[in-house]
Amino acid sequence: MLFKRDSTRRRFLQDTGLLAGGLFTGAPDVSRGDDSVSMPFENGVRPLVRYPQKRPLIRLTTRPPQLETPFSVFNEGILTPNDAFFVRYHLSESPPLEVDADAFRVNLSGKLNRALSLGVAELKSDFETFEIVAVNQCSGNGRGLMKPRVGGGQMGNGAMGNARWRGVRLRDVLNRAGVSAGARQVTFNGLDKPAIEKTPDFVKALDIDHALDGEVMLAYAMNGEDLPMLNGYPLRLVVPGYFGTYWVKHVHEITVIDDVFKGYWMATGYRIPNTPGGCVEPGTTAKSTVPIGRYNIRSFITSLENGARVKAGMMTEARGIAFDGGHGISEVLFTSDGGRTWRAARLGDNLGKYSFREWSFSFAAPEIGATELRCRATNRIGESQPLDSLWNPAGYMRNVVESINIIAV
Amino acid sequence: MNSGVAIQRKRVIAGLISLGMMAMVLRSEGLRIELPLETEVFKPGPNADIANAQCLICHSTEYVTTQPPQARAFWKNSVLKMQDKYGAPIAADQVEALADYLVRNYGREPSTNSSVSRVSSAEPEPNKPAQPLDGARLAARFACQSCHQAKVRLIGPGFQQIAVKYASDTTAMEKIAQQITKGGSGKWGPIPMPPFASITSDEIKVLAEWILGQR
Repeated sequence: MLFKRDSTRRRFLQDTGLLAGGLFTGAPDVSRGDDSVSMPFENGVRPLVRYPQKRPLIRLTTRPPQLETPFSVFNEGILTPNDAFFVRYHLSESPPLEVDADAFRVNLSGKLNRALSLGVAELKSDFETFEIVAVNQCSGNGRGLMKPRVGGGQMGNGAMGNARWRGVRLRDVLNRAGVSAGARQVTFNGLDKPAIEKTPDFVKALDIDHALDGEVMLAYAMNGEDLPMLNGYPLRLVVPGYFGTYWVKHVHEITVIDDVFKGYWMATGYRIPNTPGGCVEPGTTAKSTVPIGRYNIRSFITSLENGARVKAGMMTEARGIAFDGGHGISEVLFTSDGGRTWRAARLGDNLGKYSFREWSFSFAAPEIGATELRCRATNRIGESQPLDSLWNPAGYMRNVVESINIIAV
Repeated sequence: MNSGVAIQRKRVIAGLISLGMMAMVLRSEGLRIELPLETEVFKPGPNADIANAQCLICHSTEYVTTQPPQARAFWKNSVLKMQDKYGAPIAADQVEALADYLVRNYGREPSTNSSVSRVSSAEPEPNKPAQPLDGARLAARFACQSCHQAKVRLIGPGFQQIAVKYASDTTAMEKIAQQITKGGSGKWGPIPMPPFASITSDEIKVLAEWILGQR
């Protein structure tokens, strides 16, 4: 079993290794299927495909596009480059193929004192600029690793990224319009559209207090550049600490309502069991559900891949990332002996409580043979990661302590 | 470029080279992209037509092909979910046939011919008298309207647009027949038309005549 998994991961390493040389120098035409990777689960072969403004990414689906970040990218730095940032759409007619930034408007209506229609230029000139570093993670990140397997997008752990978002606070924009008494939720719609009328448009909702918290923002830039089209150009919602489903791309309709929004993508889709940890007994269904919300805490080793070879007996640095839903990481523990002893890793720069937090730990590689490495993060309110996988029918919120095996030679 | 990236500022540079400085002044800010073409259709086999006609309205094949091996109940529930929650125009008598196709080709159960229910254009159901062929009925059976409306472009061109385009083309029947049986892309837009391999030549003739009569 272990051997089988190792060999799969080695193939992955080889494949990504082969690719690395071609990343920036005219990558091969991957649409012909020249390059693929094998994710560490059954039926996990995926092509690496180059999309506009993107380096070759792991393609899960063509229409609408869903692209996963190769995991090695997370070892390049604490901010995920725009050209490697994952992509997830829901509706056939997305992303928009062309956006005229001068004509683009975000329209605010509903329970407001006055409706507003704002272009990106007005957002830049008329409102205070706001910046935050925050992780965007897909609700189903790691779904392909769930046991038992569940239906849905079969991704590894690369449907996440960390960026410095720049834009304006949603609070400032809503206050400019004036929120009416009795407002309960705010809904967000983007330019993406379904193929047929009967398919529910992708509209998400936040409670009014959340929308006004001064952190939820309308972002027009990430990592110092305009948003790539595939990440929401020219404007997207950023909901720090919350799963990516709320981060509506190409957002152009914002509506304040005096009710709880009942659209499909809130009332039926993206819901988790109403239980602690959002999990149920594997293979069972939930008695009641609630909309998915904040990230649970996660951590990863990024400097070594499963199956990596290290020099026997040498000091080896393990490095990685940790994040949670906004309490902030207080500790990352590391083990190089399969969990018998855990030691505190050194934490890197703090870019804010919504950011990836880097950690590192130097350990002595064994004299020879395989050893299992794991990391486990804890946040400021004492939440940590389970040693055994939690499960829910939709495959959301995976946050088990991940492990890799390395081989000392 | 590989995937046809057309970013406005690159167009600006191209404009500068070809048209001089005026090009940049005249262009507004914005972004235009081209996505890699979608080329995959479902594996051939009984009822692949239904999968191509229905599933590809809203999404590419990988929504099916990347799933882990799953039992028939999973696939049937998926079909019902698409019908009920996402408004897929899957006819009631196509649900079992589509579930059969999906589990046989992408699922975990071995193929057993005895349990295969088949909605076939070629073989009328035994207890029903054969009906005369009728273009409108054929269009409904193959769910043509999922992508083609009467007059306006939806995913594919409207029937009227097709009829007008081929009005004076003496080889129109052959071209339309070819398009239906083999599928194709590039003529009308980025989303490929799936092949409908199991349609009979009589049916194609009736259907093509009906389409050409929609002017």
